[in-house]
Amino acid sequence: MKIIAKGLEHYYAHEHVLRGIDLNIEPGSFTAIVGESGSGKTTLLSILSTLLQPSSGEVLYDAKLLAQWGNIDLFRRRHIGFVFQFHYLISYLTLRENIALASLGEFQGEIDPLMERLGIDRLGRRYSDEVSGGERQRAAIARSLINHPSIVFADEPTGNLDTKNALGVYELFAEFSRQNTTFVVASHDKKITEFADTIIEMEDGIVKNIFTR
Amino acid sequence: MITPLKALRKNRFKTVLIFISMSVSICAIFLISAISGGVVGMFSSMLKTDGDIIVTQKGIADTFFSDINATLVKPISHMEGVKEVSALILGAAPVDALPIVGIYGVSEGRFKSYHLTHGHYPSRGEVLLGSKIDDTLKHPSSIILSKKTFHVSGVFKSRIGFEDGGVVMGLSDGGELFHKSASIILISLNDLSKSDSVKDQVQMLSADLEAKTTDSFIDSYNQFKIIKTSSDVIGAMAFLMGILGIVSMMSMVVNDRKGEFGIMRSIGLSSRVIILKLLSETLIVAVVAFFVAWGISEGVLELIEHADKFQGYINGEITTVLLIKVFMVSVVMALFGTFMPALYASRIDPMSLIQKDRA
Repeated sequence: MKIIAKGLEHYYAHEHVLRGIDLNIEPGSFTAIVGESGSGKTTLLSILSTLLQPSSGEVLYDAKLLAQWGNIDLFRRRHIGFVFQFHYLISYLTLRENIALASLGEFQGEIDPLMERLGIDRLGRRYSDEVSGGERQRAAIARSLINHPSIVFADEPTGNLDTKNALGVYELFAEFSRQNTTFVVASHDKKITEFADTIIEMEDGIVKNIFTR
Repeated sequence: MITPLKALRKNRFKTVLIFISMSVSICAIFLISAISGGVVGMFSSMLKTDGDIIVTQKGIADTFFSDINATLVKPISHMEGVKEVSALILGAAPVDALPIVGIYGVSEGRFKSYHLTHGHYPSRGEVLLGSKIDDTLKHPSSIILSKKTFHVSGVFKSRIGFEDGGVVMGLSDGGELFHKSASIILISLNDLSKSDSVKDQVQMLSADLEAKTTDSFIDSYNQFKIIKTSSDVIGAMAFLMGILGIVSMMSMVVNDRKGEFGIMRSIGLSSRVIILKLLSETLIVAVVAFFVAWGISEGVLELIEHADKFQGYINGEITTVLLIKVFMVSVVMALFGTFMPALYASRIDPMSLIQKDRA
């Protein structure tokens, strides 16, 4: 799915956090949005991922506005996956059940192969408090991927992980993006730039630089 | 089914609180309905025994205050369609150490409706004791009633608590005790289609009389209306308290599980699915609470029925109709109490997950 953002502006009360953002995100790309805290990267990610309405400007998904896609729940379910800094796995469900919940009965047959690819196939019956932080985040990534989304948005997905697990997550994103899933990741971790093929550098609510590999 | 159970188990502390809140409310509804229904039912059964039509003094608020002439029994018994007529005195007085006991002065013909366990029907100066009061007074051979001593001629067993905890005597003894010849006259009919005609004829005997079918009397009897209204009000309060308990607990549950509902919204689960999920959780608790409350209520009613203190006057029964009604009330309580918190949960903005991460 191609995403085009045009003239995005956003205010929180009187704080001007995005100051006219224009960008294109190509299908199958691994895009990293980097910048210091307060640079506006999370706000940009939230707008691109449909979680936040911009104060002005527009976002086109395959040349259509969000409203033209109809039901937003259905749009998210069909096209978007989310990974947050905290895993938000449902604590009373096993890792496998968490992934199955997102699939809503579809793609049931793909849960085990996906868990195997992510290296958590032997943890399917465990609960989130019985596995490590890296394994939880892998389960959260599996949950975001199970519906074959066109695009996965991740906000500081390695914020709670050690370096080894963080690199593992980036490698997964790079691997899946090569198979045509688009990843847009907001992070202040410089290591992500070694894996992403497009890096959007933000500062004070504007895009300072865009590097493409 | 498994997911709601897992959610309830995971949040077991709050689940237990919701369960207790619902059980207490359902128990209260069961008990107040059963006891008030029991009181009305006992009195109704007593009047309905051999009574298709009841004759009282006109305009009285309570049958205890009714004062009519027992000699009317004779002309009434000659009316067409009348099978049997009996006069009854309803009163209350201290008996030995008991401060208040129901006293029934009855025509000789009505004695047969009291099933003796031993002894014989009373003659002048004698009384029959209900089995409950006989036990309470430790099987006395005589009792003192309003400073008069009466010999106990026998003991009867009645499923009507008012009677089983009361004293039965001849109409003439009752008349002397309460200074009236009858409180009410009960008319049994051969042919129910004659009921209007009999009522009209009875009313023509005296302008001070009021004749009603027993069913109509029960429906319009002020004391029953008061009992029923009080029971409805208390039941409604228990229902509202139950709803408030669920609303407050479910609000806390939703707040605790904000992340869960936020992630559900972000992965595209519809509001309807989230609302149904929470409703199913509370419905499971409601069904369990209903059965537990039913069991507890049966136990409490059994204890009350056999408590000497109540002399068998409080005798509630949980009927099938009451069970169905309370089950419906329990379900409605769960649905009403959960709907607003569930609606809130279904509208949790996934953005809050990002903001929480930032906090």
